[in-house]
Amino acid sequence: MSNPKGSVLVVGGGISGVQAALDLADSGFYVHLVEKSPAIGGAMSQLDKTFPTNDCSACILSPKLVEAGRHLNINLLTLSEVLDLEGEPGAFKVRVRQNPRYVDTEKCIACGTCAQKCPKKVPNEFDLGLGTRKAIYLRYPQAVPLKYSIDEKACIYLKKTGRCGFCEKVCPTGAINFDDKPKEFTLEVGSVILALGFRPFDPSSLEFTGYGRLKNVVTSMEFERLLSPSGPCMGHMERPSDKKEPKRIAWLQCVGSRDINRSCHGYCSSVCCMYAIKQAVIAREHSKSGDIEASIFFMDMRTHGKGFEAYYNRAQKEGIKFHRARVHTVLKGKDDNLIVRYVEDDGIPREEEFDLVVLSVGLETDPSAISLSKRLGIELDADKFLKTSLFSPVSTNRDGIFVCGAFSEPKDIPQSVMEASAAASCAQERLWPSRWTETKKKSFPPERNVYAEPPRIGVFVCSCGINIAGVIDVKEVTEYAKTLPGVVFAQNNLFTCSQDTINQMAQTIKEKGLNRVVVASCTPRTHEPLFQETLREAGINKFLFEMANIRDQDSWVHQDDPEAATQKAKDLVRMAVSKVRGDEPLPYNFVPVKKRALVIGGGVAGMVASLSLADQGFPVTLIERKDRLGGHGRKFYRTWQGNLMQDYLKGLIETVMSHENIDVRLNTTLKAVSGSVGQFRSELSDGSMVEHGVAIVAIGAESFKPRKGKWNYLYGKNPNVHTLLELDQRFIKNDPGLLGMNQAVFIHCVGSRVPERPYCSRVCCTHAIDQALKLKDLNPDMDIFMLYRDIRTYGKREHIYEEARAKGIVFIRYDLDNLPKVSEKDERMTVKVRDPIIDEEVVLHPDLLILASAVRPRDDVGELSKLFKCAMTEEGFLLEAHMKLRPVDFATDGVFLAGLCHYPKPVEETIAQAKAAASRAAIVLSREKVPAESITAIVNPMKCTGCALCTLVCPYHAVGIDENTGKAVVDTALCKGCGACVAGCRSDAITLKNLGNEQIMAAVEAALEE
Amino acid sequence: MEEKREENWQPKIVAFLCNWCSYAGADLAGVSRYQYPPSIRIVRVPCSGRVSPNMILDALRSGADGVLVSGCHPGDCHYISGNFYARRRFALFKRFLEFIGIEPDRVNFTWISASEGEQFAQVAREVTERVKRLGPARKLVKEIEPCSR
Amino acid sequence: MFTINEKITVEIRKVARDLLKKGEVSAFLGYTKGTVPMVMKPFVARRQEDAERLSWNSFCVLNLANYLPLVLKSLEPPRRPNEPPPEGPLPKVGVLVTGCWSRNMVVQIKENQIERERVKIIGISSRGMVDRKKVQALVDNNEITEVIEEDHKLIVKGHGFTREINRWDVVRDNCKSCVHPDPVIYDEVIGDLSGGRQVPKRFGDIQEIEDMDIEERWQWFQEEILSCIRCYACRNACPLCYCPTCFVDDSRPQWVGKSIDKTDTALFHILRAFHCAGRCTDCGACESACPMGIRMRLFTKKLYKDCMELYGFEPGLKIDEPLPLTTFKLEDPQDYILQQGQKGEEK
Ligand code: SF4
Ligand code: SF4
Ligand code: FES
Repeated sequence: MSNPKGSVLVVGGGISGVQAALDLADSGFYVHLVEKSPAIGGAMSQLDKTFPTNDCSACILSPKLVEAGRHLNINLLTLSEVLDLEGEPGAFKVRVRQNPRYVDTEKCIACGTCAQKCPKKVPNEFDLGLGTRKAIYLRYPQAVPLKYSIDEKACIYLKKTGRCGFCEKVCPTGAINFDDKPKEFTLEVGSVILALGFRPFDPSSLEFTGYGRLKNVVTSMEFERLLSPSGPCMGHMERPSDKKEPKRIAWLQCVGSRDINRSCHGYCSSVCCMYAIKQAVIAREHSKSGDIEASIFFMDMRTHGKGFEAYYNRAQKEGIKFHRARVHTVLKGKDDNLIVRYVEDDGIPREEEFDLVVLSVGLETDPSAISLSKRLGIELDADKFLKTSLFSPVSTNRDGIFVCGAFSEPKDIPQSVMEASAAASCAQERLWPSRWTETKKKSFPPERNVYAEPPRIGVFVCSCGINIAGVIDVKEVTEYAKTLPGVVFAQNNLFTCSQDTINQMAQTIKEKGLNRVVVASCTPRTHEPLFQETLREAGINKFLFEMANIRDQDSWVHQDDPEAATQKAKDLVRMAVSKVRGDEPLPYNFVPVKKRALVIGGGVAGMVASLSLADQGFPVTLIERKDRLGGHGRKFYRTWQGNLMQDYLKGLIETVMSHENIDVRLNTTLKAVSGSVGQFRSELSDGSMVEHGVAIVAIGAESFKPRKGKWNYLYGKNPNVHTLLELDQRFIKNDPGLLGMNQAVFIHCVGSRVPERPYCSRVCCTHAIDQALKLKDLNPDMDIFMLYRDIRTYGKREHIYEEARAKGIVFIRYDLDNLPKVSEKDERMTVKVRDPIIDEEVVLHPDLLILASAVRPRDDVGELSKLFKCAMTEEGFLLEAHMKLRPVDFATDGVFLAGLCHYPKPVEETIAQAKAAASRAAIVLSREKVPAESITAIVNPMKCTGCALCTLVCPYHAVGIDENTGKAVVDTALCKGCGACVAGCRSDAITLKNLGNEQIMAAVEAALEE
Repeated sequence: MEEKREENWQPKIVAFLCNWCSYAGADLAGVSRYQYPPSIRIVRVPCSGRVSPNMILDALRSGADGVLVSGCHPGDCHYISGNFYARRRFALFKRFLEFIGIEPDRVNFTWISASEGEQFAQVAREVTERVKRLGPARKLVKEIEPCSR
Repeated sequence: MFTINEKITVEIRKVARDLLKKGEVSAFLGYTKGTVPMVMKPFVARRQEDAERLSWNSFCVLNLANYLPLVLKSLEPPRRPNEPPPEGPLPKVGVLVTGCWSRNMVVQIKENQIERERVKIIGISSRGMVDRKKVQALVDNNEITEVIEEDHKLIVKGHGFTREINRWDVVRDNCKSCVHPDPVIYDEVIGDLSGGRQVPKRFGDIQEIEDMDIEERWQWFQEEILSCIRCYACRNACPLCYCPTCFVDDSRPQWVGKSIDKTDTALFHILRAFHCAGRCTDCGACESACPMGIRMRLFTKKLYKDCMELYGFEPGLKIDEPLPLTTFKLEDPQDYILQQGQKGEEK
């Protein structure tokens, strides 16, 4: 086959699609990102906060979207759908239809004048119909692309030509194009990634919830919008019936999940428990009075992710009420309040009144995704999620087509992001020979040296149509700018960001010999990169630039006070001019890349990551402290879907050992590390040195062995007491001793979710139930009892829980106040446990007692984390850069993590995470050099006292004290320019380039000059 | 200097906003057209952790009637921990300023996220109101030297 | 009968002599009697016989930690800025410490200004040093020619008068409110350690100011610094002010004007105090050094109090505890944050 195509199609512009697109575009592929709505962002953009960190969803998402929107190598196709696909891996032909937007994106400046004037109001689908929008609209305020679009179903003009057309009349740039037509085209790509997401379950069909009939019953997604500051009630949390703040709120869990009878969804949606707790916590924070009563009605509390259990515990402490009960009816009470009827363990029916009921609806596949899968010949499973196999968790049945996100199984954001990177990795494993073949690159003329020149500042004042000029006297501001010291040129433009003005600006810079530029217009957050690029095109360093935000922060917010707004605009221009005067050209920093990865840990995670990189043509050094590869995986019998682990492992080890790009070093550990991304130097225990551009930490974890103490349960004392992995050993060996047994008891959560290990080990419920099923297979008449606290068979794993119950396996719940008691007399074991349903003690005499013991972090994690300066959680797992959106990166650039050292997880998630780590690593390895921050800290050794305060506050460990001089030095490859060190230094010895104290003071003082 | 406490007196307030959250929140206020008094002059800084007491004093010395510092909510800082350090620094500094007789409402701190446009406008209104109630700042303002610089 | 201080003096001389003799230290930093009564001068003994000049009494108000880095430096071979430090151990210095000075040294160690290995620390539990200005005031500022110190009283003599003063009455304010008179780090101890002190209203002076209303506080602040002549004696006496270019001398940026303008003076005191936040141990050297009687210690003590209240932190007590401004807790108080943008657990 000839070389594959160097481009990839990503379908779906939610967080996973965007992440996959960014990973690929950043590592040398051209990406077409197809999104059916007018803006990317997906479901995440609708969320208020995200668990477990309570991060503001829009805040953390927006930068990613903007990056994708601006990326030279991402072709954003909004309002588009994939029609069909032909060809083979490496050379697919995909037909795409792009529906008309009726707004020219080149011209639209998102001023919103059109929407103000548009007379047609329709329910806003972004707010799930709780609010309204106009027929011409932005999907949400921070939409990417930030371009309006016309809803053809609502637009008066489009339905009846000649009527209305207001938007066309008022648009200052003439961007409205009613003649826009659908376009169809064919893309040639090497690979396809499906990130089709989910839709929230529609509970209308579930009579008992009252949804649709009772006004104050809302879905969780609707509630998200009620909480969101950009939602229909601007974050004031008003209930639909009377716009009052609800004081008593109930969440009903598992609506449309774990329910085969009423909603046909047997699976668990994985995320609802956590989002319900989060909503309860946030609702209490949002409420003005703070006296909200929040109650969550649930069957099992599934807080199985990193930091989730702690979040749950905190919520309990804060007074959120948790009812282990199934609600059977929601009735109308007085004043549109709601009566919730439920039954708890004791079987006594109860009822309680609430002001608002939130249905924690599950996730399901959107019908459009189902029909697309049909067109593409992609297989779905019985739950209508994409069918994957556990050892290749992001592959579909069609070679070259990969999947990520909630389309294959309900999952949370970090897991989706991980899979997105994993899917990107899979695409790269195939397409790597064609890296950088289809990507675009910008080139710029050499830069003029302006060091010696006195400042020659040019000021461009934008009218932004009437957005600025309608309020501010831009002429006056322009004239005023001319009087400021250093300003040699000032000009007013209608649209400074329009292509012709940009060209003219470049021309002016050259002609007038400008060496500093100020643009007074909109916000630097969206437009600074554009103008900076113009400076570069004109041969000027891009850091000789400032913006005065006279639109978003002036004309738009002082519409009724033109005089004051004009005065403020002058002040802002004066501040910008004062600041730019002190700006200096800064280097565009780069670090050359050593094309090798160091992978630490030879378990499944380490091997998969190594293999993925090696298959992409990158050399890998894989170190393993033991004398053989395989790690924890060696002890596993099978996955919950029945795939035999040892067969998989054998194949994997063979491939790794024989791979020409992988240098395996057994019995080897890491001794010391120096350098930073692109240029690490690591010393190994065998005395050798490895130079590498990236590192992947996959050092695994250990299983907790309850040899003594509270969780001992005769472990180590009676030969028939095992941990899960020990029972697996017996399965692997086909131990005949397992045959003919009469009774087995499993105790869940042994050493997990307890004060000394306050996290859920995530894997044990599923693992234990699968083992119970296996035992049942071996001994069909065996009695099996599962003593559990909550069953956490999240996602599709719920099916085996169902199966287990169907096969007569008995589940008895216990809690920390009522632990099972295990004793032994004459080799006969007795297990006593109180059954809360019958409220009686059950006495069992098992032949086999299995302890589902915790997964615990390795004791030596701390040493390793120090070597790479990466952080750890309180429990001792490694801490990623961001729990939500950077699940495999460390805060230290160029270092990634995968597998159990991050958090307990099943093998399919380990594989996905390992591939994700490989994808993130490939972004570095695929380049000759990686960019580094230009606005970095710099030390004045004359002033520095070597007190090291800066080194302590720098979040990136970018400052150190030089051994010889005793003064601080900044590693510019690590510095991100946050300025914590600058504010921390008493001696004014460390400063940020172009953001030093002097410059900020110049701006402050300019602000206050009359 | 004569009392200028008339109703329409607009104080001058210097606002140090972190680039990633609060400055974005101020932008969103604009995008959503939330109106607030034209008293705020925004200085964009990378992070609330970049703001030192010196900068606040400089604003006061140069004649600001009020100061506002705003960053991402704790836990949301783009640079991981900048606002946590800032929170300590400002807690001590603000208490200290009040100790020596600087009115509590002169120097204000808050957290505003990128999606809190309305909240930003609200804070701008509130801070302006507070400062207006106090009247023009005198206490740490450096008298302009008689000869021009 | 010897007084306590005389016994200590004898011990100091012995220890210093021994250390110098054995060559364990190359210099010994202590005090010697000044020429005027009630003034003790820091003194560096470099030879055994110098040890006899060392002395100890209630007037040791200048903080020896302030001189220690210089003495250490003076013993290093000269080198250029980029030259690596010489191989092998550098000469050591013996030094006397009380509670607060030792805590200053803890801060200095944390801030890389001194190396623990190079100091031989001789601890003395402080009985509180005497405020010369208080004594002066008690004799109507008449010239004092001689002061004889006993354990609990001072006999003050001048032209035509002799007065007996209860020692505790003239002890410095900071010492009176001190709860940590014992050194926190030391290699040897002279005399008995006190085991800590109880003080009823440790921050009473601060509380008093806090109880004023805002305008009264501003009034107080202005009056307090009114007579400041910007001589920087306070700064120079502080063991924690060691920047090569102090912000008051900086011209780019110019934080503080150089004139004796009231705003500039205020800014100087605000920033100086803030620079000591979480570091100052209330040793009182600044106040003792001030020729104008300005009580700038109240500024730093306010910060001391707040650090304790907010972060449970007292400077220099533990060597492995990070300074409060270089660390944080997720749940640090933030009740000063404007309500609007509020979020989190705080009330
Ligand atoms: S904080 Fe300032 S003086 Fe201290 S080491 Fe860093 S740069 Fe030098
Ligand atoms: S600017 Fe921020 S990242 Fe850079 S050295 Fe200073 S503290 Fe570290
Ligand atoms: S970036 Fe906003 S506070 Fe640090």
